[in-house]
Amino acid sequence: MTALLRAELLKILSTRLWWALLIGALAFSAIQSVASAVIAGMEAQPGAPAMPGLDTAEAVRSVYPMAMFTGTYIFAMVLGITGMTGEYRYQTITSTFLVSPRRSRVVVAKILAHGLMGVVYAVLGLLAVLVVGGATMTIRGYGLRLDADRLWVTMGLAVLAVAIWAIVGIGIGTLIRSQVAAIMTGVLITFLVEPLLTYAMAAADLDWLVKWLPSNASSALMAPGSSLVDYLDWWAGGLVLLGYGLVLAALGIVLSVRRDVS
Amino acid sequence: MVPKGQQVDVVGLTKTFGALKAVDDLTFSVRPGLVTGFLGPNGSGKTTTLRCVLGLLRPTSGTATIGGVPYARLRDPIGTVGAALEASSFHPGRSARAHLEVMAIGAGVDRGRAGQMLAQVGLTEVAGKRVGGFSLGMRQRLALAAALLGDPEVLLLDEPANGLDPAGIAWLRQFLRALAAEGRTVLISSHVLSEVQQTVDEVVVLSRGRLVRQGTLAELDGGEREVLVRTPEPERLRDALAAASLEVVGTDGSGRLRVAGATTDVVGHAAFEAGVEVHELVAEAGRLERVFLELTEGGHA
Repeated sequence: MTALLRAELLKILSTRLWWALLIGALAFSAIQSVASAVIAGMEAQPGAPAMPGLDTAEAVRSVYPMAMFTGTYIFAMVLGITGMTGEYRYQTITSTFLVSPRRSRVVVAKILAHGLMGVVYAVLGLLAVLVVGGATMTIRGYGLRLDADRLWVTMGLAVLAVAIWAIVGIGIGTLIRSQVAAIMTGVLITFLVEPLLTYAMAAADLDWLVKWLPSNASSALMAPGSSLVDYLDWWAGGLVLLGYGLVLAALGIVLSVRRDVS
Repeated sequence: MVPKGQQVDVVGLTKTFGALKAVDDLTFSVRPGLVTGFLGPNGSGKTTTLRCVLGLLRPTSGTATIGGVPYARLRDPIGTVGAALEASSFHPGRSARAHLEVMAIGAGVDRGRAGQMLAQVGLTEVAGKRVGGFSLGMRQRLALAAALLGDPEVLLLDEPANGLDPAGIAWLRQFLRALAAEGRTVLISSHVLSEVQQTVDEVVVLSRGRLVRQGTLAELDGGEREVLVRTPEPERLRDALAAASLEVVGTDGSGRLRVAGATTDVVGHAAFEAGVEVHELVAEAGRLERVFLELTEGGHA
């Protein structure tokens, strides 16, 4: 198992995609972090609620872990998707399954390797938001605010959430084997379908349902304030997200084991 | 350690894709110590059969085993079977060395083998280059290096001569013969008989997913060969050959007599005995190819 895990890690690190995705994730996280630090404490505008000020722990969490998560999870998911679909696209799945005909082990190794890469992305993302977000808050005269309530716990949970999204990517990649279609589906769902569903369900008073969506479960894990959604408790959000990851991963194992490779 | 070859056994193998029967009740064995040619036109089921043997495709019925064990249950898969499939492809952004290292690490093979195998197939200079820029011949060599990585007892190569230049094909021939001489089991597929004719000891011929012949090349040939002979005195030679109970079945386009069921030795001797002048005496070439085409096209009639 360790051998297969190391092989999967070398697969990821021996092409350039992980770099490109990491740069995207860092840039996105940094922008999100600066934007959160700038708009914190804004008065209510027509169409926009008042933002909690940087003196609240909630605002600090949005500058650090929440910004990192928002900026990173889609890139981690795409890494997971390509980790699976790339094998079919370039037919390297043939040599992968020749080396290890016990296919379920291969998928488990992929899940572990991409989860680990998710952790790497998230930790580097946290460093990025601590630098740029921290600088923005310092300029605004609030300092780094590293003592904010639940900040470090939330950072840890945000790292976990990014790792789970990388695993969700593996699951999506097994369900949809075309790389382009899988990435499009993943990005469309996270970028468009989920936010729209969240608004639509909130408008239709379906609060009991809306909180079960994967992104909202992730948000619950980091417990930000939102006037729109009544999030699950953080631990429940974590379990729901982990559930999505595990169900998709299990599907991935079952499908990969049964499928013909031609 | 002297490698012991393992026998590959395909028994009653059938694989259907929807309505298409790609492989139809196929039974044959591949023996250690020989190079076996796996022949048939494109689409006759060669690759499908190999993929079933390698556990990549699930047979509709029948079995395929290596030393009596299905691929998926081998204890040391790439140390037992090395395979290079026609479609076996590489990530264009990964270097040749990294591709082999990924396999080596996953299989628990010493990582240094990657460099050794690249040297063996003559790719050392491009080891660190991304495979996307490789020619077909270079990819074939890399696929062969991947197949050899685990020092396997059985080699299954799908169209390995594709894309190789004549020097490469000559090298491959020597190499495969040497591996078989070590006692390993070697199976190479091809849709062109002449490509492997000088390499193989035995042939397994497929047509439309069915076995049409298994045996040695000589058996495929049927021992029946024509000899072509050119002489300024055809009538005298006909009589001389008739006296030796050899039959002239006609003449070819350039006026040479075609003698059936003979060897050049026998025809030459008969001409010598009768004192007939002979300007050219050759065994007919390409006959094997014609037998092969007849065998494999039978299904199309």
